[in-house]
Amino acid sequence: MALKEWKETTRDRLFLLLAFLLPALWLVVFGYGLNLDVENIPFAVLDRDHSELSRDYLHRFMQSRYFSFQGYADDERALDRLLTETKIRAAIIVPERFQEQLAAGEPASVQTLLDGAFPLHTDIAKGYVIAINQAFTEERLIEYLRRTRGLTQEQAGALVRPLTVEVRYLYNEEVRSTWSMVPALVMFTLMLASPLLTALGVVREKETGSIYNIYSSTVSRAEFLTGKLLPYIVISLVNVLVLWLMAVGLFQVPFKGNFLLFFSASVLFVCCTTGIGLLISLLVQTQMAALIITMVVAMIPTILFSGLLVPVASLTRGAKVQAHLYPAMYYTNIVRGSFLKGVGADVLWTDLLALAMFAVALSGLTYRLFTKRPKT
Amino acid sequence: MTARQQAVTWGRRLAAMTWKEILQLSRDVPLLLFLLYSFSLSVVVSGAGITMQLTNAELLVHDADHSHSSRELIHRFQLPYFSFAGEISDPREGLRQLDQGRVMLLLEIPPRFHEALMSGERTAVQVLVDTTNAPQGLSAAGYSVRIAGLFGSETGLASAGLSGAEAAMPRVSSAHRVWFNPTQDERWFQSIAHVLRMTTIFAVLLPAAALVREKERGTVEQLLVSPLSPFQIMFAKVLAMSGVILIALSLALYGVLHPVFHVPMKGSTGLFFLLTTLHVFTTAGFGLVAATIAKNQAQVGMMTLFVVGPMLLLSGITSPYESMPKWVQTVMTFSPLRYYIDITYGVMLKGAGLDLLWKPVGAMLLLGGALFGFGMWRFRRQFQ
Repeated sequence: MALKEWKETTRDRLFLLLAFLLPALWLVVFGYGLNLDVENIPFAVLDRDHSELSRDYLHRFMQSRYFSFQGYADDERALDRLLTETKIRAAIIVPERFQEQLAAGEPASVQTLLDGAFPLHTDIAKGYVIAINQAFTEERLIEYLRRTRGLTQEQAGALVRPLTVEVRYLYNEEVRSTWSMVPALVMFTLMLASPLLTALGVVREKETGSIYNIYSSTVSRAEFLTGKLLPYIVISLVNVLVLWLMAVGLFQVPFKGNFLLFFSASVLFVCCTTGIGLLISLLVQTQMAALIITMVVAMIPTILFSGLLVPVASLTRGAKVQAHLYPAMYYTNIVRGSFLKGVGADVLWTDLLALAMFAVALSGLTYRLFTKRPKT
Repeated sequence: MTARQQAVTWGRRLAAMTWKEILQLSRDVPLLLFLLYSFSLSVVVSGAGITMQLTNAELLVHDADHSHSSRELIHRFQLPYFSFAGEISDPREGLRQLDQGRVMLLLEIPPRFHEALMSGERTAVQVLVDTTNAPQGLSAAGYSVRIAGLFGSETGLASAGLSGAEAAMPRVSSAHRVWFNPTQDERWFQSIAHVLRMTTIFAVLLPAAALVREKERGTVEQLLVSPLSPFQIMFAKVLAMSGVILIALSLALYGVLHPVFHVPMKGSTGLFFLLTTLHVFTTAGFGLVAATIAKNQAQVGMMTLFVVGPMLLLSGITSPYESMPKWVQTVMTFSPLRYYIDITYGVMLKGAGLDLLWKPVGAMLLLGGALFGFGMWRFRRQFQ
């Protein structure tokens, strides 16, 4: 049975090619291309002061890699237009008498206009502005204290900046987006490709009617289901190996954990994902429905609720529940844990257990749902 | 036959073909139910459930000082960014909890922290951040540095007796004005983003699958010997599926976005629907091109997956477009979703009209025309 499915799959050259090529290509595209750090925020400037100090202040934004300078505006109306057109996402207005006020030891207030359409980016941009302001303020304060109090640079510095923060980044010491993305992308590609392959395989038989041959044959339910699943599980596991090699070789992501643990978790996960595909294929009648439903069911929760982009801890309760009802989250924990943290089964056993439960539940469910005498 | 009569029969045939597609789709009950779910309940869950902003980062504290200052500092790590996960007496316990992924940060305050601050010495606190998720980790580290820095400079200056004179110090502060979404309600962003994702997935898949199905079963030959032109066959599919998608979209708009999340519609509704139709057509063009290459639905599934995945992740709703590498931005000029994002947020939240949006609209028209033309050309060539 498995052999028959295997032959059928391998006969379709283009399909086979895509089945192996897709995960690898995706890893390359997303591994190199998906940058989650907010950088190069386009901004424009309205400088009403035109002083040396205002230029010095604005220069810090222009030189920052977080901002990308788009030009000067003549009035606020021009800034409005640029923001509405999404040409810029932030605007800085330096008031008149900026230099005068600071030189006189008075506070000065700069206005920033931010595009609020993407709250995450707005929030981060606001943070960058505050950080630049803080650094600029500290320098002004030190200079001011030296002038008015006759302190040395060192003394004034200790007053203004007495507390430093030493940040230690754990598990991903250089805080590379690729390091945190690539392991999760292994999950992402597996989660998308495997269920699709399986779902289409079964529904194809349903739609062409060849499933009636199965109904009338002596093949048992379990034989049919395992036969259907096996080739896709094999394809997916080959992909796991390829992706792992690429992650370690091409992207130089360190693998600190136990390979055996990682691989057995992958086997469990692949059983889950192909099981999802099989489940869907049993519920629908047409390939079109199978195709679309699988794609949405596989893609949307994986992008949103698996921890790929947003940590599960910062989801609201409803979304958290949905995240736990889905195998992707557990596998993300295991993949990131084995790659970056180097933790073993003692920490990851809950996730492994959850995956195993999913695999068992899914196969049980599909076994129940698949009857050789469908209602017509 | 006069030209007018010809046009009428042409239109009738197209309408008949479109009606056939709608009938065929309406018999697929699971698919329709799923379509309904995707544009209603699913939007509610994703809209309300996701915050990409740093929220509730679990913070563990190891306070070796237990002084007034250390408590004051800890107190400043507050919701919504940080949530206090408890205090520990052994730093190794903190590392263990970080390993398990139960907390995201560990703040270590050294002994003599208060004393040093009061006597004008320099001192340091340590923050350990889990950066398995790099952007969130960086963001958390950034907030910690800012909070502690501000705290330091306030206490430092206060210890020198300067706090009263704070108003008369040369500080630069900034007044932020956030436009288009002043309360920073992330549900607006997320719910719209979800609708965009769904629209795109369905727009690629529905017409593509419908066309390949005919090819796979061989019914496309029957259609071609009928008096229908290849254009009518293809266009009818896109027309029927676009209609269905637009109905689903209005359901999401008037059933979820407005009543549940109070997302405003600042611009013109008519313009929004018109441009959505353009987006659906353009995106369908991708599906049609894939459908002319594929021989069966399994192939078309893989091919569209290949297109849809990058489109959803790299067009600018899941990750910031401006910080993408240049080559990604170049490739993404071929993604209709990239323009549609600017259009949707522009019309709905910013109230932009065609005078401001003509660039993305023009780009999309070009792209849609090219894709349709190419798909048509391939389709004709295959069957002649």
